[in-house]
Amino acid sequence: MEWVFYGIAFFVSVLVTGSAVYALYWSSKKGQLRDLEKGALSIFDEKEPVGQPTDSFPGKRPPQPAH
Amino acid sequence: MPSAPSLAASFDPASSPDIVKRAELSEIDASTKLPVMFFLCSAVLWLLVGTAFALISSFKLHTPNFLGDIEWLTFGRARTAHLNLVIYGWSVNAAFAVAFWLMARLSRSVLRHSGLLMIAGAFWNIGVTLGVIGILAGDSTSIEWLEIPPYATPLLFVAYALIGAWALITFRFGKSEHIYVSQWYLLAALFWFPWLYSIAQIMLIMQPARGTVQALVNWWFAHNVLGLWFTPIGLAAVYYFLPKVLGKPIHSYYLSILGFWSLALFYNWAGVHHLIGGPVPAWVISAGIAASFMMAIPVIVTGINHHMTMVGSFSALKYSPTLRFIVFGAVSYTITSLIGSLMADRQVSEVVHFTHFTVAHAHQGMYAFFTMVMFGSIYYILPRVLLKEWPSAMLISVHFWAVAVGITVYVVGLSIGGIKQGMEMNNADIPFLKVVADTIPYLLSRSLSGILITIGHLAFAVNFAWMLLRPRAAQKTEPTLFHTPPEMEIIR
Repeated sequence: MEWVFYGIAFFVSVLVTGSAVYALYWSSKKGQLRDLEKGALSIFDEKEPVGQPTDSFPGKRPPQPAH
Repeated sequence: MPSAPSLAASFDPASSPDIVKRAELSEIDASTKLPVMFFLCSAVLWLLVGTAFALISSFKLHTPNFLGDIEWLTFGRARTAHLNLVIYGWSVNAAFAVAFWLMARLSRSVLRHSGLLMIAGAFWNIGVTLGVIGILAGDSTSIEWLEIPPYATPLLFVAYALIGAWALITFRFGKSEHIYVSQWYLLAALFWFPWLYSIAQIMLIMQPARGTVQALVNWWFAHNVLGLWFTPIGLAAVYYFLPKVLGKPIHSYYLSILGFWSLALFYNWAGVHHLIGGPVPAWVISAGIAASFMMAIPVIVTGINHHMTMVGSFSALKYSPTLRFIVFGAVSYTITSLIGSLMADRQVSEVVHFTHFTVAHAHQGMYAFFTMVMFGSIYYILPRVLLKEWPSAMLISVHFWAVAVGITVYVVGLSIGGIKQGMEMNNADIPFLKVVADTIPYLLSRSLSGILITIGHLAFAVNFAWMLLRPRAAQKTEPTLFHTPPEMEIIR
């Protein structure tokens, strides 16, 4: 009986490993690994640009951004 | 609001990701409110209960008669209840809430199908409640990190499956051109945990492996829960909040990607270092030790990256509560991971294995790193979700200093005590009971730090509840920037 479970476990492990390999292939194909420094900027936008601190203690303002 | 596709449309492989629009950050934050608040409220409640059990267990170690005649609160049960409460109650609930919010923000689309998440949340919290009551009633499975009795685990699994499905949908309909490094970590974590959990359930509970293989599976699971579930979620939060709070991009994006893939490659092997000296094949242990040392690569890479991002901005620690907690967590991650690699060395393990040093190490990882990062994330997320300011800056300070000093005393005290304990145990001339008696001062320092940490948690809980209950009044100052005040706009 236990070989059924181990069979499932083995199958799942192969799937997980396969999905990691596929993820790496996919990200390289989609150009996710190119122009990495631009990727670092993807969390900023017009509303919250680079140079804009976004957190402070209540009642206090973060310092003015450098121009 | 962009039109939300129905659940069926989201699951249909033929439907195009174009049916959702790229959304504004404020829209996204608002859309996460229900599930994020549900999971955060649950997390904070579990944190308080878990802290109470932590204190009970800690006092029992130096005062064994404390609550000693109550069957439900004997050490074996209280300590196990503490572990499961803070792991599956606090940490996982907080991790889910932070992961939902980050996933929605990073995929640049509003959070959809929050019903799925609410059902998952109900299953998860009923599962944890049932599991902890089971442990206190004496039904623990006695397998470390999987003590929750078998009648409660299926509930946890259902919850997990729903959240995994949700994450895939969110990723699929994402509207960001680039997959930010945090998203890699989050997706990987959401993908790895069901694998770890289901294999461990099959091989330890349903059809237990025999002999020493059982111990191997146990430590493969227990260590990977830390490394492949909590670590990626914690790092995802650090990689988002550190640059976001400072308003400057991460020092080297290349290093962050390198860190991710090397973690994915090495961590899975490292868990067996818990069995050094045990009756398992030597090559398995050697492979585990090698992987543990290879972990220095992602850790050092991540540490350098975080440090270089902070350089020149350390003054920001004065004004940002989020940053304080996140930086404390990130520094702890580097230290605790390097100590962890060192502990995998055979000679070091000979001394510190089976001592309080291991306990200190575990708390440095789960508390000084992971929990601190979660606190920091919550301080950032909550004002944006509720559109209210934190009511008390003083309570935030009390929270930070009490837990920061508390966990430092904890880790330093038990680390020193643990090394001393290990050296004495290796010396056959010292009677065992003297070794035990010699640990008492260090155990007292642990209880003291426990009291400090409890004070911090109470300050946090009071601030949290106060924030929930108070009406949204006109603020005297701009709240923690849900939108940029006009005078702070950058002139180009």
